[in-house]
Amino acid sequence: MSGNNLLSDQGLRLDGRRPHELRRIRCKLGVFEQPDGSAYLEQGNTKVLAAVFGPHQASQKKMNVDEVTVNCQYSMATFSTGERKNRPRGDRKSTEITMNLQKTLSAAIKTELYPRSQIDVYIEVLQADGANFAVSLNAATLALVDAGICLKEYVCACTASLSKNNTPLTDVSHLEEVSGGPTLTVAALPTSDKIAFIDTSQRFHLSQLQVVVETAQEGCRQIQKIMDEAVKKHLTEIGAAGDWSNIAK
Amino acid sequence: MQEVEDSKTLICLPGQRICLSDESTIAGQGTYERQGYIYATVMGTVTTREKDNSRFIEVKCYGQQTIVPLTGDVVTARILQVNQRFAKCSIISIGEHILERNYRGLLRREDVRATEKDRIEMYKCFRPGDIILARILPQIELSCYQLTTAENELGVVVAVASDAGVYGAPMVPISWTDMQCPETLVKEPRKVAKIVAESTIKEEVIDK
Repeated sequence: MSGNNLLSDQGLRLDGRRPHELRRIRCKLGVFEQPDGSAYLEQGNTKVLAAVFGPHQASQKKMNVDEVTVNCQYSMATFSTGERKNRPRGDRKSTEITMNLQKTLSAAIKTELYPRSQIDVYIEVLQADGANFAVSLNAATLALVDAGICLKEYVCACTASLSKNNTPLTDVSHLEEVSGGPTLTVAALPTSDKIAFIDTSQRFHLSQLQVVVETAQEGCRQIQKIMDEAVKKHLTEIGAAGDWSNIAK
Repeated sequence: MQEVEDSKTLICLPGQRICLSDESTIAGQGTYERQGYIYATVMGTVTTREKDNSRFIEVKCYGQQTIVPLTGDVVTARILQVNQRFAKCSIISIGEHILERNYRGLLRREDVRATEKDRIEMYKCFRPGDIILARILPQIELSCYQLTTAENELGVVVAVASDAGVYGAPMVPISWTDMQCPETLVKEPRKVAKIVAESTIKEEVIDK
């Protein structure tokens, strides 16, 4: 029912990971000077930059009297994929991801705090190697944290797949995506155990769906821990650099 | 949580549970309450503030706090453009918070003062470049914030005589409707604000 040989006889995946293993995540906050918040995140070979501007006064068309408008732009660098990409943004796939990002981020932001305002989130995929939406969302979350925008909690995303012998796999790479396995993307609010967004590339059997969703959620929790560490480290660094004087404003 | 006494040690992250919330422990700035607990919304350090027998749990974010003008706030604005019906201005600070980005504001003729509304002449109340204190009005549809100066404490605070150029000295108020340049002794009409401490302005709002 799923792709061929996602898992070897030894129980290892195509890139040598174990089924429940995430790819290596490295991230950095505050990579740019101009925007209010920015972050760089790489998950395996998927590398994403995110920048956040705002909140600022919304344009008349987009203004919402009760809450903030989240404005996203998802773009893939022309050199991000194996073959040169002609349209960095505006194609169907990017538009869909943009809309999904917008909705998922709105679920995490305390939108009622910034009425009549707008937050712009710009995401650039530098290298695409699977789970583009999930990595972009994680990077956007870090950038929002860096911008000091009030969040209910982190929103983290993770993907999961299913091998031929029904073993769930966490954090799908591009190779696994294209070799036929179904991919499930979950964006979760891990602390309150809520799901903000869920999407599948193919059909899952109903009996397997629960297991795969739980695998993805477990991945989200692991990612949250890694992001927590990164934010804590960043905060300690900038706090120590300013002798904690900025903080007591 | 007892260790909150020393704000330097306890850092917290968005979505992190800080403590239980009850009648004497209240979620302050940078936090929110959910299901009986107080959670942080920004990264920063935890501080507690005691007021009227209750503790306010706050998270101080590093750098600038982003705030949005709300109805009833007293703001400082710079007049950009004046015509017969309204004055366009840019809001430069809210209360004592200086904004990083300015917001557009609109001060209509009927909101300039509380009395003799039909005899107001905008050109005799404001000039481009004046710094004013104003209050945010509730608004429904307009894309910019509507302001009012219809209180004694609100109106022009800093102004330079129109013929003095950029380097002119700020004028001194001589009455509710006039200001005078200390160097050239030129008198100009303005809607003058009576300058009081910020705390007293806020108290008056509560009385109303």
